Amino acid sequence: MKNLFILCLALAMITCTADNVTPTAPVNSTFDTSKAISLKKGTLVGIGHTASGEVNIYSDNGKYVIVLDPYSSQSGPDLKVYLSKDINASEYINAGKLQSTTGKQSYTVPGTPDISEYHFVHIWCEQFTVVFGRAELK
Amino acid sequence: MKRLVLGVIVLLTAHSSFSQKTGRVNYVDATIGVGSYEGTLSLAYLHNWNLGTKRKLSIGLGGRFTSYVGQNQYYSTAPAKLTSGSKGPLVIFKNDIDANIDTLLVKSPQVNSLNLFINIDYAVSPKLLVGFNIDAIGFSFGGRKQANYINGSSGKITEGSPTAFNVLLVSDNDLGSLNSEMYARYFLNEKWGIKAGFQFLFTEYKTTTKVQTSPEENDRFRNKSLLFCLGLTYKLHNNQ
Repeated sequence: MKNLFILCLALAMITCTADNVTPTAPVNSTFDTSKAISLKKGTLVGIGHTASGEVNIYSDNGKYVIVLDPYSSQSGPDLKVYLSKDINASEYINAGKLQSTTGKQSYTVPGTPDISEYHFVHIWCEQFTVVFGRAELK
Repeated sequence: MKRLVLGVIVLLTAHSSFSQKTGRVNYVDATIGVGSYEGTLSLAYLHNWNLGTKRKLSIGLGGRFTSYVGQNQYYSTAPAKLTSGSKGPLVIFKNDIDANIDTLLVKSPQVNSLNLFINIDYAVSPKLLVGFNIDAIGFSFGGRKQANYINGSSGKITEGSPTAFNVLLVSDNDLGSLNSEMYARYFLNEKWGIKAGFQFLFTEYKTTTKVQTSPEENDRFRNKSLLFCLGLTYKLHNNQ
């Protein structure tokens, strides 16, 4: 019975490895904020994790772009940038995989949502359903 | 459902008609299943009838309790009408319609199910059996869990609970949480045996609202798990 337990534990350990970890190398998006219209902005606050920075949403040639600048957070698996209507992200748009844990980065919002209905940006670990950081947009 | 009732009737008829010609064996067994970020504990009681003159082939009925735990498991749109475009028995031959299949990521799924199951096994030698069993009908219970409904680039953070009623039908027409095993059982002595094999387990969650809206509303999502399993068997009764 003891050997059975050890075998199961070993199998569980083999399978329990995190993947999709966000790169830590700094990035510097070329998105030109001076040529776009700023619509909303907020300050990113870490939620149980280290995360900080400024979040802006710009209108650029009919598309909406989320810009994190400056940005810094700890790394984690499967981190995504969510744009949501409420604080619980009960309805959200996934703007993409977090490009890096540090540096200026931009994310084009898919589709043409009514941006006035969206009030929060989350740094969201999708695989583990954990929020790393959140900014309320005003 | 008709097939299930028919199967039970056939088994019971076989038992009454051939009770003088068949042997009976009762087992209880405990099995653990291990997969990627998921596992099961199953407790089962099995009543087996040995058939034929050599009594190598057995069929049986039993009750099985399966408790499933996982972490961050992906569930997919469950109803056959959405996954295959129809509900008939031929659904097993149809390809999945990817555009209709959305994802529900359940943070910490935990599903308990109690089902009637059907077993068939074959004695390769006096000590070694190989067999297959599958849950047929029963019910499930478990707590409400946080879940992330993902539909392309949009989604909803929601909650879901295990689908209460389980029934084996055909392919994606199945409802609820159903376990099955393909195994080899080796008897160490007259009473005790060990079992090794694979479990193929369906678990199903129902979201609190119909989060999927296209091509039609849906709240049922299924996870299909393949687990390596090991078990311990105790022979309660042997009348061969």
